[in-house]
Amino acid sequence: MTGYLFRRIGGALLVLFGLTTILYALFYLAPSDPAVLTCGKGCTPERLADVRHAMGVDDPVHVQYAHFLEGLVAGRDYPSGPDVRHCPAPCLGYSFETDQPVTALLTDRLPVSVSLAIGAEALSLVVGIGAGMLSGLRRHRWLDRLVNGLVLTGYAVPVFLVGLLLLLLFCVVLQWLPFPAYVPFTTNPLLWAQNLLLPWVALATIQAAAYARLTRAGIQETLAEDHIRTARAYGLPERRIIWRRAFRGAMLPLVTLTALDVAAIMTSAVLTETMFGLPGIGQLLVGAVNQIDLPVVVGVTLLTGLLIVVANAVADLLYAAIDPRVQLR
Amino acid sequence: MRRSLPAVLVSAMLLTACQGNGGEGGATSAAFDPKTCQGGTLSVLNQGGINRLDPARLYTSGGGNIPSLLFRTLTTRNRLEGEAGTKPAPDLATDLGTPSDGAKTWTYKLRDDVFFEDGTPIKAADVKYGIERSFSPDLPGGAPYLRDWLVGAANYQGPYKQPDGLEAIETPDDKTIVFKLSKPEGDFPFLATATQFAPVPKAKDKGVGYDAHPISSGPYKIESYEPKKSLELVRNEHWKPAVDNLRYACPDRIEVTAGLDAAVINQRLVSGAGQDANAVTTDAAVGPEQLAQLQPGSELEKRVARGEFPATTYLAFNTRKAPFDDPKVREALSYAVNRTSVVNALGGSAVAGPSTTFLPPQKALGHQAYDFFPAGASGDPAKAKELLAAAGKPGLTIELAHENDDGNGLGPKPAAALQEAFKQAGVTVKLTPIDSATYRDVTGKPATQPGLSLQYWGADWPSGGPFLIPIFDGRQIITAGGNFNLAQYNDPAVNAEIDAINALTDQSQAQQRWGALDAKIGKLALTVPLAHEKDVYLFGKNVKNAVPDGWRGTYDLARISVK
Amino acid sequence: MTRAAVAFRDRGLVAGAAIATLMVVVAVSAPLLTAISGQDPTTFHDGLLDSARGGVPVGAFGGVSGEHWLGVEPGTGRDLFARIVYGARVSLGVAVGATVLQVLIGLLAGLAAGLGGRWADAALGRLIDLVLAVPSLVLAISLLAIVPADWPRPVLLAVVIAVLGWGGTARITRGETLSLRTRDYVAAARVSGAGWFRVARREILPGLTAPVLTYAALILPTNMIVEAGLSFLGVGVRPPTPSWGQMLSTATTWFRADPMYVVVPGGLLFLTLLAFVLVANGLRRVLDPRQSEFLR
Repeated sequence: MTGYLFRRIGGALLVLFGLTTILYALFYLAPSDPAVLTCGKGCTPERLADVRHAMGVDDPVHVQYAHFLEGLVAGRDYPSGPDVRHCPAPCLGYSFETDQPVTALLTDRLPVSVSLAIGAEALSLVVGIGAGMLSGLRRHRWLDRLVNGLVLTGYAVPVFLVGLLLLLLFCVVLQWLPFPAYVPFTTNPLLWAQNLLLPWVALATIQAAAYARLTRAGIQETLAEDHIRTARAYGLPERRIIWRRAFRGAMLPLVTLTALDVAAIMTSAVLTETMFGLPGIGQLLVGAVNQIDLPVVVGVTLLTGLLIVVANAVADLLYAAIDPRVQLR
Repeated sequence: MRRSLPAVLVSAMLLTACQGNGGEGGATSAAFDPKTCQGGTLSVLNQGGINRLDPARLYTSGGGNIPSLLFRTLTTRNRLEGEAGTKPAPDLATDLGTPSDGAKTWTYKLRDDVFFEDGTPIKAADVKYGIERSFSPDLPGGAPYLRDWLVGAANYQGPYKQPDGLEAIETPDDKTIVFKLSKPEGDFPFLATATQFAPVPKAKDKGVGYDAHPISSGPYKIESYEPKKSLELVRNEHWKPAVDNLRYACPDRIEVTAGLDAAVINQRLVSGAGQDANAVTTDAAVGPEQLAQLQPGSELEKRVARGEFPATTYLAFNTRKAPFDDPKVREALSYAVNRTSVVNALGGSAVAGPSTTFLPPQKALGHQAYDFFPAGASGDPAKAKELLAAAGKPGLTIELAHENDDGNGLGPKPAAALQEAFKQAGVTVKLTPIDSATYRDVTGKPATQPGLSLQYWGADWPSGGPFLIPIFDGRQIITAGGNFNLAQYNDPAVNAEIDAINALTDQSQAQQRWGALDAKIGKLALTVPLAHEKDVYLFGKNVKNAVPDGWRGTYDLARISVK
Repeated sequence: MTRAAVAFRDRGLVAGAAIATLMVVVAVSAPLLTAISGQDPTTFHDGLLDSARGGVPVGAFGGVSGEHWLGVEPGTGRDLFARIVYGARVSLGVAVGATVLQVLIGLLAGLAAGLGGRWADAALGRLIDLVLAVPSLVLAISLLAIVPADWPRPVLLAVVIAVLGWGGTARITRGETLSLRTRDYVAAARVSGAGWFRVARREILPGLTAPVLTYAALILPTNMIVEAGLSFLGVGVRPPTPSWGQMLSTATTWFRADPMYVVVPGGLLFLTLLAFVLVANGLRRVLDPRQSEFLR
């Protein structure tokens, strides 16, 4: 177990290190100069050189990268006019665009993305499993077909198309809901849910399709297994067979997927966040990328990488905990 | 000033289902009384506009809209509608300044009874300090004029590195501030509207960290502020209406939300549900969805402010590069442009108008009509072909540089419109998209400057000087970068005329001569003027006195009421 | 029953394949189709726009007429039918290109890992894990924003999507290879002196066809969605090159004023995606009946 943990953490660090290295290398190779944007219109070359120095982007890329790693591990001091700003570890630097600490930006935005992902995941699980069971039990052939058709449709719509239609229908035509604006859960749970409803539905449309399909397959597979047939032969009530055995068997793969999918939603909800105007990490990234805001881009990438790595580990652990045949190695 | 919109314009849909409640919020009702307008909360729904608030780092025309709620400057725009609104007015100072030494020295007296938000009286030294810190490389972003104009300022590094300050700014007493310029500048009262002329108390300066809470000298102060996200302003109790007759400061509270999509903002303004009835925007001009509904006499038409920010979209030739060194080629392309399709690509005739002059049509800039290469509404390809044949260059192939997205109006849409028009004249255009974040950098370095590029120039203040000087003054050609004289045109006679007009403090004389100069340069076809800007902004149902000012083309938050 | 017969009995597969083929034909023959309609995707028609109302097309359904079968694009007056068929080239081309690249890289990496011995397996396994663990959308956005704007965008898109997304194919290939190499006939080939390269080509690859092909059919629509999403966000194909995703992103500001401009690219994108999903679904049933629900 300890060996497993070490390997896991080592692997995670490797992934994150690789990600930052790639980003630094790319930004260095790119023709864009963040100082030009910061310096503004009519900036003279002398002034630009001074600004570049003040921003610390005049150093060679390996020096900048070393500074970055140092800040991440030990924190960094940034001279700032009459003051010195201390950026404690893990320091991801300050945004070029707004001079806010990147760690603060991320912690500020993360709850939005978490809210989005968890709600969407919960909704997808409920809808997906429900639909999957209905169809998997094959009580009604038409129901099976309907669910199957919806599942395929769910695969075939891009999230922004669903989002557009939802906004159009509920905010503009029917006006049942206001245009989504994020309200923190701690401020008002009801408004929080109301404002996130449409983004949840948009994301869940696609995610639920996957779960329905999985559940349906799982149920059909377990129903065909020997122990179920035995149970039936023993005359156990059908309801009990379904709930105790088939359902459980079908749920196993889903449980491990949940952690992965929450992370996947958080890291890929860029479109949903920009479309619904939710200030999550995806929206932060899109804004930063357009402004060559390297510290923010690196920060978001690191955080999303970390989320995926953690989710993978959680999924493995869950799998091992649920299924005794699996051994962590 | 360039108002940049987020490059990613995502999402949204705008329908206007709710046409409901009749139009009560008349915009320009004559009965508006600034004395009784106080109360309520104004919402500002924005795409951006609150990335920074440090006055040293803002690049504004006339002090900006949101910043002007926080910062009083030596002078400010006079906030009137139309032509009358293109003049500066005294703000912290008692007048527009006293020029001496042939407009090389400008002296200002500060008003009595002006205070920071903590009750400290504002002194001349605070204004001087505010200007000085804008020179610090830690606080870049402001306009370059002060660096160019003040004596010995070109290499000043700001008060953190050089605490002795700028000798060119003298404060003989707490109420007097004197500026020494290296050349006569009749436009100095216009420049003094910039946020760099806002006072900054040295004791509160935290360098880069000052942005988190800049100290207010205006009618509102910051209650909470998250850059690019939200800004909440409450009344600054130490601001006295008696000594500020330009800012009405009607709402008790102003809440700015940024990061919204332009289409969503406009849809919310149209629907006006709940608090959105008290909403305005400072950066989301109407989109096609609203324009399609804006019929004369419609309910929505009463909730629209139409103004014009002086700005020109144009084609810039690099006359040092073949084939644009040949005036015949430049003239041919001037004949070939289809201004109708350019205007449509920019959003239609409601938000842009065709221009044949480099100066936009405002009188304050000295506009004089001319059309030396009449292309008509949709181009004259025959004449263009004729000129190209005469130049020995029929069937020319050229490259046109443009921004890679349409957020700034220099994107693929107008570029494609020009490509099509030139095709009619037998000219093959290869489009060269350049990332919008680096566009200015690439075109501003003669070493990397393309032969032909799509450009936009807006007025830093409503006068011919800031419009013509960076573009046509030969001494402004900066080879290392940040160049705007893209034609690389250097005519000593033009340079001398510019100096002569700069020395004028009589604006009407200056206007006359700027206009004449523009016409003179226009004959050379150094640029192809394409379109000028028109601004159409919606406002909420309860919003009153949303009058577009002549300086910036949009309504002024400091004069809006939601009571 | 032969596989072909099974395939033809699968109505979803047949319908999906028909639509998908039609789309591919449309994309390939775009120049021909526009020649027939007499329009091209770049010519501006200012006369067909109402400039004062923001440039919306004059006439019903976005300016549908005998000349402009689907109307014209608002703001420019460019022929919508021409832009749609040329847009199909980009949307399908990028998706197919990315898929082919993904499969190639994945096959090579998976085969090398499966056949190359412990060290190769360990090293490549790590790499595959890394690719699977990368937040690909986040990285794709950053990557696409950084590269110079004048690089050929569709090629770049295909490469970026492929480079960030070959992990799945590699993992499947590796797994299948590992199980195939223990089979008797592979062992027999080895014993008879065949090199690994020959074994890979002659013995392993045929066994990989079914799982890899089904997987490829599955990631094709996903890649199409990714392309549309990236173009929608403004980091994909650059205008004036038409792509459905990029058309949709401009269309969102025209919902009410010109619904046709949303309905046409949106509907086609959905239809095409659905067709490919049906094909993938059908292929799985036909080619790989034992593999139950690998798709999620």
